Amino acid sequence: MHASWTQKYRPRHLSEVAGNKDSILTLREWFTSWSSSPPKKKGALLYGPAGTGKTVTAEAASRDLGFDLVEMNASDKRSTASVERVVGTAAQQGSLTAGKRLILLDEVDGIDPSTDRGAVEAMASAIERTIWPVVLTANDPWDPRLSALRNVCLMIQFKRLGLRDSVPYLKRICLSENIEVEEKALRFIVERDEGDMRSILNDLETLSAGTRTLTYDNVTWLGHRDRKENIFEVLGSIFNAKTCMWAKKAAGLADVDQEMLFEWIYENAPTQIEDPKDRARALEALAKADLFMARIRRTQDWGLLSYAIDLMTAGVAMSREHAKTGWVKMRFPERLKLKAKARRQKALKIAIGRKIASKCHTSTNSAIKYYLPYVKQMLEKESKTAEELVRWLDLDEEMTESITLGVAKSKRP
Amino acid sequence: MWSEKYRPQLLKEIKNQTDIVERLQLFVKTRSMPHCLFAGPPGTGKTTASLCLARELFGERYMDAYMELNASDARGIDVVRTTVKEFARISTISRVPFKLLVLDEADNMTADAQQALRRTMERYAETCRFVLSCNYSGRIIEPIQSRCALFRFTRLKEEDVLSHLEMIGKKENTKYEIQGLKAVVSASEGDVRRAINTFQAAASFGKKVDEQTVFQVIGRAKPQDVVEILSLALKNKFIESRDRLRNLLIEYGISGQDVIKQLHSEVFRMDLPEAKKIEIAEAIGDADFRLAQGADEEVQLSALLAQIASKFREK
Repeated sequence: MHASWTQKYRPRHLSEVAGNKDSILTLREWFTSWSSSPPKKKGALLYGPAGTGKTVTAEAASRDLGFDLVEMNASDKRSTASVERVVGTAAQQGSLTAGKRLILLDEVDGIDPSTDRGAVEAMASAIERTIWPVVLTANDPWDPRLSALRNVCLMIQFKRLGLRDSVPYLKRICLSENIEVEEKALRFIVERDEGDMRSILNDLETLSAGTRTLTYDNVTWLGHRDRKENIFEVLGSIFNAKTCMWAKKAAGLADVDQEMLFEWIYENAPTQIEDPKDRARALEALAKADLFMARIRRTQDWGLLSYAIDLMTAGVAMSREHAKTGWVKMRFPERLKLKAKARRQKALKIAIGRKIASKCHTSTNSAIKYYLPYVKQMLEKESKTAEELVRWLDLDEEMTESITLGVAKSKRP
Repeated sequence: MWSEKYRPQLLKEIKNQTDIVERLQLFVKTRSMPHCLFAGPPGTGKTTASLCLARELFGERYMDAYMELNASDARGIDVVRTTVKEFARISTISRVPFKLLVLDEADNMTADAQQALRRTMERYAETCRFVLSCNYSGRIIEPIQSRCALFRFTRLKEEDVLSHLEMIGKKENTKYEIQGLKAVVSASEGDVRRAINTFQAAASFGKKVDEQTVFQVIGRAKPQDVVEILSLALKNKFIESRDRLRNLLIEYGISGQDVIKQLHSEVFRMDLPEAKKIEIAEAIGDADFRLAQGADEEVQLSALLAQIASKFREK
C-alpha cells in the first residue's frame, strides 16, 4: 500500500520530532512527574499553528514512555455523555492490560458549541478527577469557551518550524526517497508554507512525483500557479458570498496584501456584478473602502483598515440582489502598472504648465487650463511658427512630444 | 504667444476699464498708491493693468522693483513670507519710495494663509505695495479687503475684443473672414486671453480663419472624451466606459477634478427627470469631496459613473 509522506515519515519517537525542542522537554518533564504522584495540573494543553507537531509529539511521547493512547479528536462526537464515557472512564479505570494510559483530546478548539454543549466542562471535570495524564491540543487556546480547560492544564506552546529545524529534516527525507534537491528549493517551500510541516511534506511529495531532481525553478513555478488559483478562488467566494462573515473570511484566505486584494476586486466587480443597480452599489462600497484607505495613507491610522476591508469584501458581496447570469472570466488588475505611467504624465504636464506660466504671467494651473489646449493645436502642424513657439516657451523634446501626442490621439473616433 | 506679444504696454492702451485706468494713472502721477485688490473674471486685464502700472511707475527697468507671485504656485504662506521679506528688505533708489508685489490668484489661498498674508502686508507696507488679483473678491477675507482699494474688472465688450483681434490679424498678416473673428469673440465670453489664443490656434492651421476652423479649435480645446465616457456608461457598456476613463486619466494626465467638472455640466443637459439631476449632482459633489480627501481618482469616478448609469435606468 502506498503511504503518503506525512504517514511514512511521521515521527515515532520524541527524538525524531523536528523543532520545538523546549516544548517537548517541558512535556517530557511533566510526564516524568506523574511517576511519583499526579502533578497539580493533570492536563497539558499543547497549542500552536497547524503542522507544528502537537499531535505527533503526544503520540511519540506515549510510545516512548510506555503509555497506552486513548484518543478522541474533532471527528468524534463530543456531547457531554460521550466525553464522560470515553474520558471519564478512561481517566479512572486501569487499562485491561494494566498498563499506564495517556488520554489525548485532539483539536479541542474545534468543539462546536451547538452540538457539543457542555463538552468543555465535562472535559475539565474529567481532567480534575483523572488518575492518568491528559494531553489536549488546540490551534487557538485563547478562545473564551476554553477558559475552563486553561485553568486545569499546563500550557505548552508549539511554534512554527524555522528553516534551521526543517531544512535538515527535509533533506534526510529526500535522501531516503533518493531525490536530489536544491537547498534553495526546500527553503522556498518552507517559507511558502510558513513552517507548517504537514503542508511542506505534502507539497514536497507532490512536487517530486515522477522526478529525481528538484530545483528552485520547478518549485517556484508551482508556487506561482498555486497563488493565482488562490486569488481566483478567493474572488469567487467574495463575489458569491451570502453573508458578510463569508465574504470577510474568504478575504482572509487571500495571500495578497489588502491593496492588491482591493485592485483585484475593483478590476472584476463590474464584470462579476452585472445588474446596473447592484453594480452601482458594489462600486460605491469600493469607493468608500478607497476613501478609508486614503485616510489610512494620510494619518497612518491602521485601525481603520478593518472598515476598508469590510466594505471591499462584505460591502461588495451584499450589493448583489440579482443572481449572476453566467461565468465571466476574471481580469488581472493592470491598473497598478499603469499608475506609474500616469504619475509620469502628470509630472510632465505640470512641467509644461510651469514653462508656459513663466512666460505668460500666470499660474501653472491656469497655464494648463487656459493655454495648453490651444498650444497643443498650434504645435500640431509642423511649421516655422510652431518651432518658434517651442523655442520661446523653452519646451524640451519630451514635452513637445507629449503635447502633440495627445492631440494626435484625441482625433480617434 | 500672441497674447503676450500684444499685451498692452501702457495703461492708456487698456480697453474698456476706463475708470480703473484713470485712477491707476493718478497713482503714477502722485507716485503713491494704496494696496490694491483687482477682482474680475479671467482675461479682463488684471495682470496687464499691474504690469502697465509697474512700467509707468518705475520706468523701463521696472523689473527691479516689481515682482509677480502666484498664490497657487507658491506653495504655502511661508514661501510668500520669505520671498516678500527678501524682496521688500532692499529699498529702491528710484524716485518711487516703494516696490510693487503682485499676488495673483489670491482667492486660491486658504483663510489661514490670508491671515498670515495680512500680517506680512502690514509689516512691509512702507517699502512694498501689494496688488492682489482674484476672480472673486468675496473669497478674500474682510481684513485684507478693508486694507485694499478695490478695483472691479468687467468683461470686455464684444466690439472691443473684435477690434483688438483685427489689429492683431493685420500685424500678423493673417488671412481671416470677419465671420470667423466674430465666432471667436462670441465663444470667448469677454475673455480677451481666450479670444487671442483661439485666434492664434485657428491661424496656425495655415488656412484662412473662417467660422469652421474656429469651431474646430473650440471643439478640440474641450475634452470630448468625458461626454463619450458618460454615454458609454449610460448604454450599460460599463467596462468600455471605465477603460476610456482609465485612458483619459493615465494617457492624457487629465485630472479627476477636471473630469468631475465636465460631468457636472453634462448632467444638466441629460434627458432625465429634474429631481434625478439633483440626486446625481449630489453624488458628483460627494466624489469631488472624496478626491480632495486623497481618494483614488479612477475608483471614485467609476463608482460615480455606475451610480449615474443606475439612476438613468430607473427614470
